[in-house]
Amino acid sequence: MSEDIPHQNLAIIGHVDHGKSTLVGRLLYETGSVPEHVIEQHKEEAEEKGKGGFEFAYVMDNLAEERERGVTIDIAHQEFDTDEYNFTIVDCPGHRDFVKNMITGASQADNAVLVVAADDGVAPQTREHVFLARTLGINELIIGINKMDLVDYSEDSYKEVIDEVTDLLNQVQFATDDTTFIPISAFEGDNVSEASENTDWYDGPTLLEALNNLPEPEPPTDAPLRLPIQDVYTISGIGTVPVGRIETGTLNTGDNVSFQPSDVGGEVKTIEMHHEEVPSAAPGDNVGFNVRGIGKDDIRRGDVCGPADDPPSVAETFQAQVVVMQHPSVITAGYTPVFHAHTAQVACTIESIDQKIDPSTGEVAEEDPDFIKSGDAAVVTVRPQKPLSIEPSSEIPELGSFAIRDMGQTIAAGKVLSVDER
Amino acid sequence: MGDVAAKIKVMPESPDVDLDALEDRLEAALPEGAEIRGYQREDVAFGLVALLPTVIVPDDAGGTEAVEEAFSDVEGVESIDVDSVGRL
Ligand SMILES: Nc1nc2c(ncn2[C@@H]2O[C@H](COP(=O)(O)OP(=O)(O)OP(=O)(O)O)[C@@H](O)[C@H]2O)c(=O)[nH]1
Ligand SMILES: [Mg+2]
Repeated sequence: MSEDIPHQNLAIIGHVDHGKSTLVGRLLYETGSVPEHVIEQHKEEAEEKGKGGFEFAYVMDNLAEERERGVTIDIAHQEFDTDEYNFTIVDCPGHRDFVKNMITGASQADNAVLVVAADDGVAPQTREHVFLARTLGINELIIGINKMDLVDYSEDSYKEVIDEVTDLLNQVQFATDDTTFIPISAFEGDNVSEASENTDWYDGPTLLEALNNLPEPEPPTDAPLRLPIQDVYTISGIGTVPVGRIETGTLNTGDNVSFQPSDVGGEVKTIEMHHEEVPSAAPGDNVGFNVRGIGKDDIRRGDVCGPADDPPSVAETFQAQVVVMQHPSVITAGYTPVFHAHTAQVACTIESIDQKIDPSTGEVAEEDPDFIKSGDAAVVTVRPQKPLSIEPSSEIPELGSFAIRDMGQTIAAGKVLSVDER
Repeated sequence: MGDVAAKIKVMPESPDVDLDALEDRLEAALPEGAEIRGYQREDVAFGLVALLPTVIVPDDAGGTEAVEEAFSDVEGVESIDVDSVGRL
């Protein structure tokens, strides 16, 4: 892993069987990130059998096997370097219940590659993943129209799928000028690292070029300190120690901080990270710290720590845009499921359903609808039943998204549009 | 649908919790179908060490909730957070 090039988290999204895993394997292979012994092993076996030629399928199988065996510890992540970036790939789980993890987890994706099979076009999970990418604040989408080999590299088929995808992107108001379409075959390798002769009608970038052209993710340090509290400890000789991961801003010793919604504060005395005392900590850092005058019962998990002069917002109500992913019946005003936002889990009442968004136009379809159901996107007003610190996604995206759970399922995901503070 | 690897952050109740014994208790508490594939440990602060098991769950099992709930009830556990998830 290169130290001196910027890092990006890249989500690979798309419908079941459209070729996400194959594309991940192909990217690893083309960037020389497949472990040497996997390729060597293949060469030996091929020579033994007297077979020449390279079979990508074989590398795929062995990569899968190696990961199943769990040789590397961080098996959920795969990395590769291009000229411009060090990428960590997240091959997104298909099941909707993992959406909560994507929202509250440590590594949010910066950009995404959407894989759409040329022989199948836009399919249900394509739709759902695009909705989520939009909700989760993915900046740019690169769209790989995959399996071009199965449609004889036909430009007409490619264009048909592009039209379908463009419609979908318009529906969810993804700015289509920030998207790049590329005809690829993950399996054969067309237009991944080199322009393919099979698509001489295409003169855009290869997939690796498009990845290199992505804008650099902006470091979130411009925003004020926001540090959701994960746990609160009493450590002998030290006192009360809140622990958590810094989402935005910096935490310095001597800072005057405030914990919301508990509404207490004080001066930061010491900060430790990896068991070492540090004068300051930045986004992504897991820290434990100690604040003058704060007792163990004064603060709790779900509080957010911020500067005393720019404290975390506490919502009396907030307006949000939600996408309903699965619900057995319909959602009406008065519904009170549990909202999962950063480290907080708070029952919240959907006080009113303000607008339903028409998926075919992206425009307001209905003001004050009576109900919403699976597949609907809507703007709702939410009243937390207990104090909740949350921020408008446009101001602090890291603290502005949530998952809604009920009956043991993730039923919706959303982002905060505005906060009516207490 | 394949399997999903979830890296789960388990915070102990105090710096004094024996993490080797905690690993055994987590193992014993796993819901059916889930499997632990190795642990990492991360020094946090003031003697606190987080335990990070990588848990494999089937994609169609419907998320990490069952594992999170099972781990939360284990003796010596303060909190559970899912750090990251990805397809195997
Ligand atoms: N002909 C052809 N087949 C492909 C291509 N890409 C993937 N496939 C095949 O399509 C099937 C599905 O590919 P995967 O990479 O497993 O698809 P996936 O999107 O990861 O599927 P899930 O993880 O189940 O959602 C496999 O049999 C691949 O070999 C391609 O470019 N051309
Ligand atoms: Mg796959």
